[in-house]
Amino acid sequence: MPTSAPPKGKAGRTHPIFAAPPAAARWRWLPDRWLARLSVAPTLLLLFGLFIFPLLYVLVLSFTDYSASGSGDVNIVGFENYGRLLTSDQVHSKALTTVLFVIGAVSLQTVLGFGLAYLVHRQKRGGGFLTVLLLVPMMLSPVIVGAFWRLMLDSSFGVVNGTLALIGVDGPQWLSQQGVALLSLIIVDTWQWTPFIMVIALAGLNAVPGYLYEAADIDQATDWFKFKSITLPIVWPILLIAVLFRVIDAFRLFDIVLIVTGGGPGGTTETLSFHIYKLAIRNFQTGLASAYGVLMLIVVNIMAVIFIKYLERLQSR
Amino acid sequence: MTSAFTQPSRALRALVLTLALLLLATACGSSAPADDDDGTATEEDTSASEDGTGDDGDDGAGEDVTLRFVWFEWPPAQALEDFANEHYAAVNPGVSFEVETVPFGQWHDAIFTQFAAGETSFDIPILDSQFIGEAVTGNHIATLTDFANDNIDLAAYPQNLLAAYSQYPVAADGLFDPEGDIYGLPLLADTWVLIYRKDLIGEEPPGSWDEMLEVAAQCQADNPGMAGLAFHGAPDYDTAGITLNQVIWVNGGEIWDAESRTVEGIINDETGLAAITQLVEEMVPLAPDGVGTAFIGEVNAAINQGQACMGMNWVAGLEGMQLPENSTLGETEEEILDKLGFAELPDGAADVSPLGGMGMHVSSYSPNQQAALDFIEWFETAEVQEMWAAAGGVPARTDALNSEAFLNARPWNQAFTDSVDSLRDFWAIPEFFQMIDVHSTQANAAITGTQEPEAALNALAEQEQTILDGGI
Repeated sequence: MPTSAPPKGKAGRTHPIFAAPPAAARWRWLPDRWLARLSVAPTLLLLFGLFIFPLLYVLVLSFTDYSASGSGDVNIVGFENYGRLLTSDQVHSKALTTVLFVIGAVSLQTVLGFGLAYLVHRQKRGGGFLTVLLLVPMMLSPVIVGAFWRLMLDSSFGVVNGTLALIGVDGPQWLSQQGVALLSLIIVDTWQWTPFIMVIALAGLNAVPGYLYEAADIDQATDWFKFKSITLPIVWPILLIAVLFRVIDAFRLFDIVLIVTGGGPGGTTETLSFHIYKLAIRNFQTGLASAYGVLMLIVVNIMAVIFIKYLERLQSR
Repeated sequence: MTSAFTQPSRALRALVLTLALLLLATACGSSAPADDDDGTATEEDTSASEDGTGDDGDDGAGEDVTLRFVWFEWPPAQALEDFANEHYAAVNPGVSFEVETVPFGQWHDAIFTQFAAGETSFDIPILDSQFIGEAVTGNHIATLTDFANDNIDLAAYPQNLLAAYSQYPVAADGLFDPEGDIYGLPLLADTWVLIYRKDLIGEEPPGSWDEMLEVAAQCQADNPGMAGLAFHGAPDYDTAGITLNQVIWVNGGEIWDAESRTVEGIINDETGLAAITQLVEEMVPLAPDGVGTAFIGEVNAAINQGQACMGMNWVAGLEGMQLPENSTLGETEEEILDKLGFAELPDGAADVSPLGGMGMHVSSYSPNQQAALDFIEWFETAEVQEMWAAAGGVPARTDALNSEAFLNARPWNQAFTDSVDSLRDFWAIPEFFQMIDVHSTQANAAITGTQEPEAALNALAEQEQTILDGGI
């Protein structure tokens, strides 16, 4: 910034009129640029060590036949792992299972979560307590949740079929019947993660300005009209962010499958993540599993980008 | 800023950066394994004392040592920890024991992920017999050949059990090969036995496999609400796979040809297809609901809760069946045992039972190898094996298996001793885990009706052959 020339004093020394305040004392050998670099260095190191390096390492491994448990030579196999995965019937089957799960679970959670949020929002008294109570499943470890649901859904000794039997209904084999087992996973995941959608939807509902409803009341608008024309358009973009998180999370479902069905019956509830786990940890086909992971990362990223573009278009209207 | 100032400060920054990188490299440096590169226990390691006192080892001498096992969560794990701490203290008070347990489904993973990292939290991994190939080819467990030849009475064991728990590769006849290398020693022998309700089907167990199915069907028909025969069918690890093996073997079939490494056309030949059809069409309708997720606990519960006339289960998993707190069959242990009988699995076209159980091995990365070898030497003596039997363990030495201590320790132990000659293991090969995953998944698919039996067996054969031929 240009400054006027400082006047000279009695002794001929210069006295700055608009001089900057004295800088904080610091080492002369450490310029600001280096200080800034040093400040972000720990974060960058962590980011590099925990994210970028493993990602690059996985990428390199995906072009090899490396096995983490073996002691044999490592060979470069080019795109062979990718080719095998993309043409494998097993992988196609796991992908279909995963897509069915994501669609089923996230749709159910969105409808239920938004419904619950709407009800809690209208609650004049005890809404806070109700919200905390409904959030409890989300706070539990998925492994614990899975273990309890496995017990409850047991065909012979489970409380679910026991209760159904009391009213004369012969319950299905929740964990070992084709089709029903995937439904069981959707139920368990919905039980745990509906509160997540609910809490975000609740935040959206609280953001709707009250005067819009007052204006609608003056026009004698119906509740359905108010919901359709005021509530939903304002809450929808926020709800979509919650859905995006849930889709990404559901896409990499692993823990509940491992605990509740173990991938059965006949592998029909094995998701992509569960399949990667089997290849990587049980079979120690590390190179193949790395390629699998890279492919999943690409798919999730493409999904996220599409979703975010849609969100941006929605918000720009 | 003058160039005179710039040059030293750049040098200083470079110096600081270099030092920081050096520090980081030092901090991230991994410690070398305690063992030789090839995983072979050293001469010093294998020089366990003749008297088994364990006080002449290099490591742990004069210092307290905690030897850590890793196993899956089931009653014998706690029994082993209690037994070792109680009895070995008299021999070597400086050594204590901890048994780390993991869920059954994660047993292999918990061990081999540590092996892959080149560092283990345990000294003595307890491996299923089929894990040995993978552990040996990865140099993760120590070679105990010299130690065992010098310190263990190898003739004292049934040779099929010793081969399964100690050697890789296992000889074609399934028996111990004195010329072969040794990588472990028996910890716990195991097999399936038949548990039957004496009050429902009589004092004598069925005399043959087919008779067993007939008796089960009759009992189920006579007792509405009860299942005829409980057995394992879950997809986890080898659960449904062992069931399939047993049904194929007992019907006279084979699951592969070890010499030519062929599955296709052997497991799914006429006998194999007839066997899986029997499993799905005759046995599954006799099983309690949820057979597709059933394992040890479910079979025990079906018997204990009066929901099944008979069941097939691992001997070492039966612990607690006789206790009133676990059962609705009686108020006292005597009342319960009046109703329950235990017998060797009945013969079919072949006299065969699945070989279970595990051996003790020494981690290549353990700093306590000498202490581990001292313990193993002590544990494998005849006297200690009888004590282990009395404590509820299933020993592998012939003398212990026929001792009064073992036969009287649990009501099912006689059935185990009767089964020893017919025990049969499978697939001690490095590809085991890929194979068993396919095996159990397809067996579970057949059991749960997800696939037709023939389609499941053919898919199994094709996929396993692909694995053996080096495919995915």
